[in-house]
Amino acid sequence: MASEPARWDLEVDVVAAGSGLGAVCAAIVAHDGGQQAVLLEKAPKLGGVCAYGGGEVFVPNNHKMRALGLADSDEAGRSYFEFLAAGFAEPELQRRLLDNMRPAVEYFEKEAGVRWLAVRGLPDYYSPDAPGAAAEGRYLCVELFDGAQLGPWQRKTFLTPHFPLGVLHEELYAWGGLAKVTEWNYELLGQRIASDQRAWGQGMMGWFLKAALVDRGIPAHVETPVRELLVEDGAVVGVRAEQEGRDFFVRARRGVVLAIGGYDHHRELARRYEGVHDWNSACPPYVEGDHLVLAGEVGAALACVPPTNLAMFFGYQIPGEEHEGKPLYRSSWECGCPHAIWVNRAGQRFCDESFYKDYQPRLRAWDGQKQALPNQPPFLIFDQSYRDRYPLGSFMPGQPLPEELVTQADTPRALAEKLGIDPDGLEATLARWNPHARRGEDPDFGKGSRPWAVRLTGDPSYPNPCVGPIERPPYYGMRLVPVGVGINSHGLRTDADARVVHVRGHPIPGLYAVGNSAALLDLGGGYQSGTSNMRAITWGYLAGRHLAGRS
Amino acid sequence: MPEVEYTTTARLPVQTIWDFVREMDNWAGFVAGYQEHVKESESDSVWTLKGDVGVLTRTVKFRVHVTEWSGPERVAFTLQGLNEPLQGGGGFHMQQDGSGRPVLPAPARRGLLARWLEALARFFLRRRRGAPQRAEVPATAEAGAARLTFRLRLDPGGPMAPMLNAMLEPPMRAAAEDLANRILGALEARPAERA
Repeated sequence: MASEPARWDLEVDVVAAGSGLGAVCAAIVAHDGGQQAVLLEKAPKLGGVCAYGGGEVFVPNNHKMRALGLADSDEAGRSYFEFLAAGFAEPELQRRLLDNMRPAVEYFEKEAGVRWLAVRGLPDYYSPDAPGAAAEGRYLCVELFDGAQLGPWQRKTFLTPHFPLGVLHEELYAWGGLAKVTEWNYELLGQRIASDQRAWGQGMMGWFLKAALVDRGIPAHVETPVRELLVEDGAVVGVRAEQEGRDFFVRARRGVVLAIGGYDHHRELARRYEGVHDWNSACPPYVEGDHLVLAGEVGAALACVPPTNLAMFFGYQIPGEEHEGKPLYRSSWECGCPHAIWVNRAGQRFCDESFYKDYQPRLRAWDGQKQALPNQPPFLIFDQSYRDRYPLGSFMPGQPLPEELVTQADTPRALAEKLGIDPDGLEATLARWNPHARRGEDPDFGKGSRPWAVRLTGDPSYPNPCVGPIERPPYYGMRLVPVGVGINSHGLRTDADARVVHVRGHPIPGLYAVGNSAALLDLGGGYQSGTSNMRAITWGYLAGRHLAGRS
Repeated sequence: MPEVEYTTTARLPVQTIWDFVREMDNWAGFVAGYQEHVKESESDSVWTLKGDVGVLTRTVKFRVHVTEWSGPERVAFTLQGLNEPLQGGGGFHMQQDGSGRPVLPAPARRGLLARWLEALARFFLRRRRGAPQRAEVPATAEAGAARLTFRLRLDPGGPMAPMLNAMLEPPMRAAAEDLANRILGALEARPAERA
């Protein structure tokens, strides 16, 4: 554990390590409270994991939905979060989160100019049957952000490879969702790309980074990873960062906020903590679990929630497709469309493929007799009817699919043999699936029964928008691999002011963790899209207030 | 459909440039994102490139068919994507004395993002391959100077074409500039070749 250096290269009140949502929120609020803040980012660009994501912020009973006349209540929101937690949340942290999420998003609207929109028509994951679930309005996204407003930072912000640059959520659904990607308005998207109009997480980070860097003049240093926390009398007083191969000592008079994401690109950590044999990530390749080393060295406690049903997907890597110089992994949404299912090596279905909250725990099913994970790896199976209508990743209908990625055969049996699946099993599965599918039914797993899934990947021209028979040759199949999105089961244990807790139970003075660096004890055993961004905003807001002495 | 043209000049005999350009093995490695090329005949070849499409990189295979060999001044070609819905064409145009005009009209003023993506593409090209080390001869008519113009047109197909058009032009512009400069840079590095 290092102590103060002989000379500081920079002295501020608050060091925010990272430049995603949590770091930027903490820096803005600390700045507004009279503190001098700085952002230290390991990557060559700003925006963190949030910039790669869908940019949803899940806030029950938010002011934007109320303005639209959509009914909700704090009680309903609490019930829904209790349902998600499944008994694994820490009540004090969850209460603190829920009490402050709305003040936080309203603060950034009023004080930082972030322009929120309530997303119409998108239900909660577990709507309509979960306690407190809502049919629409709880997801906030942002208005389009003009990248030019970032001035000199425009070129130094992450743009996502996972979504087209400038599509608003409501446009996506109005254009038919992911199943109707061939019918989107690409003329409009081309215009928005040409004028750098950003939506999704990159748009949201645009608003927040503008507020921090342009409006407030908070300095940011890219390619400046924090390498070590500096401690004096048990308190974190600064950091040793690295800049151009040299030490860069930054004093933090009030504290250091670790907001550098999880460990998605530390494959060994991810495999061990997430309990899978393989791990890949859709995140920027700079999210490597540094927070666990930095805080671990000063005695921080680690905490975890069950990895069983957080946000993790299965997907693939299109050969030759890269981002930031690394192979790009995509989450697979194809399984939610008609004419597509998943099977295991036995050729059997095992889940509602359209609802990842259903498939994820079933993928983790453990066969105690055989000491094996029988549903891993999953195989995506589809037919020519799928190919004629829907995309696969960035491959549009009619475009040849890479042989290295997709296996093709004239019969299900031949396909199974090529993929290493039990041919009898696959034939039996399709023999059961197809008659039901022609009627739009899935009596086994209820594919297409969740309104959220229907909204996202369903084709409204089908009786069941997620179900169609797989009977038209040729048949296609591909093996899928785990793809993380930065939301991990293990993180730093924090208290109600976002302070990192020591292994002996007391908060470590001067050390905070927010966003995906902090364990998800406030959420517990479940996940709902938009809660990761909501956590980052809320805990960043609370950390900033505490650093400014306003807690 | 994005169409780019880049012209640069050097104190070189135009015949020297022609002799170099007509043999694609000489300059294939200068093409941005070059992975490999296979010559099928004097006029046909299959190329594999890693190309930037917006913020991601894709590996693209396409067939190039040379439609015109008019030495020492002009090579024209068409291209057809093999794994992407893409077609297009382009060519090299060489003139002595720098007195010729670009064949294409000057590009319209482009948006900030287009210029940014172009700068980004240029940045990545240089990071991967190093900057082409050459000082351009001033583009005035000058005895002994030759002008090399490289043109490229891409016409993406499919429903996403209007969006791809906006994404492709910036890296194409950077790649055209990079290729022309690398060709002349390679020739200028041979002292005996100077005009």
